[in-house]
Amino acid sequence: MTPPVLAASGITKNYRLGKQSIPVLRGVDLAVQQGEILALLGASGAGKSTLLHVLGLLDQPTTGEILFDGEPVQNLPVRERARLRHSHTGFVFQFYHLIPELTALQNVMLAGMMTKSVLQYWAIRKQARREATEILEQVGLADRLKHRPSELSGGERQRVAIARALLARPRVILADEPTGNLDSTTADGVVDLMFRIQKERNLAFVLVTHDEDLAQRADRIVRMKDGVVLSSAAVR
Amino acid sequence: MYRLFLAIRYLLTRPINLLGMFGIALSVWALVVVVSLFSGFIATVEEHVHSASADVSVSNLPAWAKWSKLRAALADEPNLSAMAPRLVHYGLIHHPGKRPAPPPLPGRTALHGGDQPFLFVLGIHAAEEAAATGFGGWITDPDIAPELRVKDPQNALAPQHGVPSVLLGVERMRAEGLRPGDTLVLTTGVLRTAPDGTKSPQQVQIPLVIAGAYKTKHGGFDGNNLFVDIGTLQQELLEGDTDAVHEIAIAVRDESQLDETADRIARIVHRAVDRGDQMARGTAQTWREKNLAFLQSVEHQRALLKIVLIVIMVTAAFLMLATLSMMVTEKTSDIGILTAMGGTPLGVTSVFLACGLTITAIGVLLGIGVGSLTAIYLEEVRQALLWAFGIDLFPLQVYNLDRVPCHIDPLWLVQVAGMAFGTGFVVSVLPALRAALYDPLISLRGT
Repeated sequence: MTPPVLAASGITKNYRLGKQSIPVLRGVDLAVQQGEILALLGASGAGKSTLLHVLGLLDQPTTGEILFDGEPVQNLPVRERARLRHSHTGFVFQFYHLIPELTALQNVMLAGMMTKSVLQYWAIRKQARREATEILEQVGLADRLKHRPSELSGGERQRVAIARALLARPRVILADEPTGNLDSTTADGVVDLMFRIQKERNLAFVLVTHDEDLAQRADRIVRMKDGVVLSSAAVR
Repeated sequence: MYRLFLAIRYLLTRPINLLGMFGIALSVWALVVVVSLFSGFIATVEEHVHSASADVSVSNLPAWAKWSKLRAALADEPNLSAMAPRLVHYGLIHHPGKRPAPPPLPGRTALHGGDQPFLFVLGIHAAEEAAATGFGGWITDPDIAPELRVKDPQNALAPQHGVPSVLLGVERMRAEGLRPGDTLVLTTGVLRTAPDGTKSPQQVQIPLVIAGAYKTKHGGFDGNNLFVDIGTLQQELLEGDTDAVHEIAIAVRDESQLDETADRIARIVHRAVDRGDQMARGTAQTWREKNLAFLQSVEHQRALLKIVLIVIMVTAAFLMLATLSMMVTEKTSDIGILTAMGGTPLGVTSVFLACGLTITAIGVLLGIGVGSLTAIYLEEVRQALLWAFGIDLFPLQVYNLDRVPCHIDPLWLVQVAGMAFGTGFVVSVLPALRAALYDPLISLRGT
């Protein structure tokens, strides 16, 4: 049997507040299969975002294992974890986090520059530009390539962020409240887009949300409360 | 690649960073221009001082020193090409029947001397002096107006109608309206020994007739010294002792051996004047040693200016530190997303480091380039400012120069660039390290 593309086993995460240790995750087990959309549902403070950061190797668990294709990765050197973040994982955040000095196209192209030296990138610059343009066309922003984030609507910014997450052809997309900052109509459009691309590319998709309706569009819902997984159930 | 790309984008979209760049460029420019000017000035001053000095001067000779004995002793020195005896005295000059000289001109004080009537009187043998120093050229300098020139340079100090001749600096002659043929009186003092053996000072007045002007490149020398025939001083001050000598001017064959030659000459002189008490008497100094205090004062000014300008560079660096720190504070969100996209803390650090180093590099290149051009065309810049605004930044006549001196030392350029890069690196590393210490999750949570 093929191992899950991304899994968490016995994850705990404590934050220190002065001399106090605050537990945020208390033994979370989770597995995401290739091509699966998994919604992490819970109220604020349930530990969803922290779990997402730990899954994406942005944060270290206090105990437990993170497995990419069955291999533990949480203790890899900083550089290796950074490389895995780049090649295996794409992030989409609630507040887009586009770089304001760059155009939409440059924001997407930046993702392709992360692991390349100047000479390496120079050799593939035309291809990199073409790929970034194609992805932006796929998310419906063909006419917004040279616009800066300040010149784009919220929905358009999130589409740029999605395009950026997709450029390195990751196998997992980790989305943290991707529609939390959008009105309902725009949010629907963005979700439709994300799920369409997920299907086309057969991506594993972890979606953090507290929106029950959005979660119902996933393949499986994992409910969390106080750092513990309450339930994990497939959506009919 | 992303580091360079982002660094350039950040710089291009944030004009405030130009402030730091401008500060670095300005301080580097000032360090290049001012130090090149001073280096040129020092080189020129050295040339001027050398032109008015013998290669080696033997001075502080005791009263019993005899020229004939010293000349015989020094004749064996292999690096000696010529030598000339001097008597060195002092006195006041005045022009009988004329009003005293006007007060000093503004700005023409110690460096030139020349405006007060108290002078050193150098008693020389003209032919021997011409062989040992530039004396022959001093009295035939083309800058001396024809009406002030010595009529017979071969016999420059020959008495005129029985009156001893005197040579004055050309600037003094011009300032006081003196002409060849004018009479002067030199008033001085001398210790006379009475029959009972007691010594007492006595006034001596020596009438002199001006033979003409002389001009070295060293205005201070010209203003403070006059030449008379050595025989005149021997007769008037030393009771006709024709073998007396106070100082010896020496020319050497090989200037690269100057210090060693001066040491050997000092030993020869000590042996020649020693009266058995082993007390070293007389000093032999190279032209540089003889004028050391003056040359060091100019060098000291250059060193002080360097310190002031380096402080300006540090101030500019603080400006850069402030703008880079502001940038890091504003870019915490970018730090988060760069980490999420696969950046390492070191990589994120290097984005901001690259910003600082780019600012420094452009500032240094601009400063050195424009500074070098300014230094090369400093005289033209001076003339342009004089023409446009009437401001003379470097009044040449004060320093006895015909153009603003300049010497660009490549080693100094390298040192300035190194200092600027070092300073730029330090003030770039600090904000960059702060960026690396940011927790990317804080910005990614959007709180």
